[in-house]
Amino acid sequence: MKADNTRPTLTHRGTFPEGGIMKTRTLPVLIAAATSVAVLAACSGGTNAGSDSPGGGGGGSQTLTLASQDQGSIEDVVKAFEKANPGVKVKYTVSGADQYQPQIRTQLASGTAPDVMSVWPGNGNPAATYVLAKPGYLRDLSDQPWVNKLPASVKSLTEYDGKSYTALFGLNGIGAVYNQEALTKAGLTPPDTWTQLLDFCKAAKAKGTPAFALGNQDNWVTQLVLYSLVATTVYGDDPDFDKQMQAGQATFAKSPWTTALDKYLTMEKTGCFQKNPLGTSYEASQTLAATGKTLGIVQGNWVIALLKEKNPKGTFTLKALPATDDPAKTLIPAAAGAGYAVNAKAKNPELALKFVNFVMSPEGMNTFVKKQGSLPTLSDTGLAADPSLAELTKFIGSDRTVPFMDQLWPNPKVQATMLSGLQEIFSGQSTPGKLLDEMDAEYKSGN
Amino acid sequence: MTVTPHKQLPDVDRPPGAEPAPRGRRERTTPPWWFALPAMLLFAFVVLVPSVRGVYYAFTDWDGLSPDFSFVGLDNFSEMFRDEDARQAVWHTLLIAVSITVVQNAVGLLLALGVNSAIKSRNVLRVFLFAPAVITPIVTAYLWRNLLGPDGAVNSLLGAVGLKGLQQDWLGDPDLALWSVVGVIVWQFAGYSMVIFLAGLQSVPKEVHEAASMDGAGPVRRFWSVTRPLLAPALTINLMLSIIGGIKLFDQVFALTGGGPGHATDTISTLIYKDAFTLGEFGYSIALAVVLTIIVAVVSTGQYLALSRNERASS
Repeated sequence: MKADNTRPTLTHRGTFPEGGIMKTRTLPVLIAAATSVAVLAACSGGTNAGSDSPGGGGGGSQTLTLASQDQGSIEDVVKAFEKANPGVKVKYTVSGADQYQPQIRTQLASGTAPDVMSVWPGNGNPAATYVLAKPGYLRDLSDQPWVNKLPASVKSLTEYDGKSYTALFGLNGIGAVYNQEALTKAGLTPPDTWTQLLDFCKAAKAKGTPAFALGNQDNWVTQLVLYSLVATTVYGDDPDFDKQMQAGQATFAKSPWTTALDKYLTMEKTGCFQKNPLGTSYEASQTLAATGKTLGIVQGNWVIALLKEKNPKGTFTLKALPATDDPAKTLIPAAAGAGYAVNAKAKNPELALKFVNFVMSPEGMNTFVKKQGSLPTLSDTGLAADPSLAELTKFIGSDRTVPFMDQLWPNPKVQATMLSGLQEIFSGQSTPGKLLDEMDAEYKSGN
Repeated sequence: MTVTPHKQLPDVDRPPGAEPAPRGRRERTTPPWWFALPAMLLFAFVVLVPSVRGVYYAFTDWDGLSPDFSFVGLDNFSEMFRDEDARQAVWHTLLIAVSITVVQNAVGLLLALGVNSAIKSRNVLRVFLFAPAVITPIVTAYLWRNLLGPDGAVNSLLGAVGLKGLQQDWLGDPDLALWSVVGVIVWQFAGYSMVIFLAGLQSVPKEVHEAASMDGAGPVRRFWSVTRPLLAPALTINLMLSIIGGIKLFDQVFALTGGGPGHATDTISTLIYKDAFTLGEFGYSIALAVVLTIIVAVVSTGQYLALSRNERASS
């Protein structure tokens, strides 16, 4: 932005010599007016932006428009779909989640959204199923054959008001991802209990390679350790915690969320993480774990592919992060990642349904999950499980998982408050009690 | 516009003194107001009308998505006074704007005086000093994000020269992060201010300097009494641009810290973005944008009036 408003002066420079003061009078005022007004213009685009959307190709009946946030995997799926349906052309756009969410909301609001689009499960984010289905932007997919084959915990996340809207194809879990070489070098084994975890951290620190890399500069990363601990401490004893929250019978501040937060900070104090987590980005934390400067990283399974990119010879395995001394009680936060939904006003609804059903077919689903390093939501795809995800597969198979906490929260503000609050706690600007009170307040503020 | 050069040619070719055409010349220097009409219409259509239409949403609870929303009067504006994040963001914005304005221009002026002197490598230096301003802000921000990391180049350099005690968590420490952001922006744009000052410096006639030295004025005295008043227009432009840029600051903050840790570096602009696009509170976010526009307009007009009075007094 800075460069934009400074540029005009270059041409303006010529007016300084020979008393061109008359001209210099008006130009700065114009620049000031124009730049300040531009801020407003950028924010008012809600109803009339999006003219460059892919929705323009409605002419040919064999053209499907698609917007996706699955960078790196949608390309292969589209290719396979086009191959399976000769004569069909898919016009698609791909962008990262940060850009995708505002983009799809703008397109939906202005009637320029594509036929098929990435949508997140449940609630709690700006492009979640609940958020987009409520104003009627999504087509009801309840009558599709795959809906009733989904595990109950996944199916509930495709729903708004009892109808299914989103084709969820991949499952992700959060846990401790260990660098096998680094573990061997340090002569340590992954811990199964909370006490072992703290000992593990101390031993790792003594060897000069901290246990886990933590990239808290990117604020979404701050939640991952906490979610892992909350899964066991909150839901281990009380699987219905979310129902009580929804009924107003429970609060964050008076629940074992306090225990989980406390354990998170105990881990920090014990030296489980490298120095200065708040100055370390997600990217930098991957480098630490991939190159063995830490023994591992607490992340989602998606990080494994990224670690392998940085260290192709490395072996990485995901294990549950223990939070109590009873290993049988340990749970893993695991949930469906973003899936695909059909625009209620799709220009080519049949083709859109065909695509969504292709995503849920063994071929489409396997292409997606293999590329993304996740697990399929349907059990009959015949995919050989990735050995680095063996523990996650086992936990999902024995139903020892809890959805990501935010997927059942009533609005995105609870999570936003938690993310910046965790950064504030790590930098001494806030306290766990204050954070949980703020989260309760946002939770109660509803939609 | 394309017609004028053709008409001008015979005028220019005419030998000096023969048949001057004062009337024709005069008409060209003050074009009729309606010449500006096409540009004004375009500006109105592309900028003014959408902006004014946008302002309307500041008085609603629109979420940026659903087709229905209701009119909530001034609720969004009164909410700002209750919202601690908003108050903090305003404070951070002012801190950033003021410090950038002061430091960037001070550094820019010193650099300009330096490369305006007779040193040998001045042309190369000018290019190097101006180079950062040519790079996209988002790119420099990502570069600096890596350089300022705990294991980044800045800390490594400090360690290598034996200044381990000065190593910092530049972007992760909430007391330091804001100043790191200011530092990055000054690094990038001091060269820009330098170029504008340099243009001003080069318009200062040599004879005046020579006359002043004949009268016995030293370098400091010459700067203060000769250069400074003649630099006033350059200073006006520089201050104006840096303060407006500082108040609107978004991309560098967003790429360097994302407003964090916590809200320690949130500015009004990053808050506008977050409220609109992560939280879906478009009404509130637009209300913030309206306030930002008013702040920019008031500050820049006030500053402009003060400085132009100054300019007149010193010339």
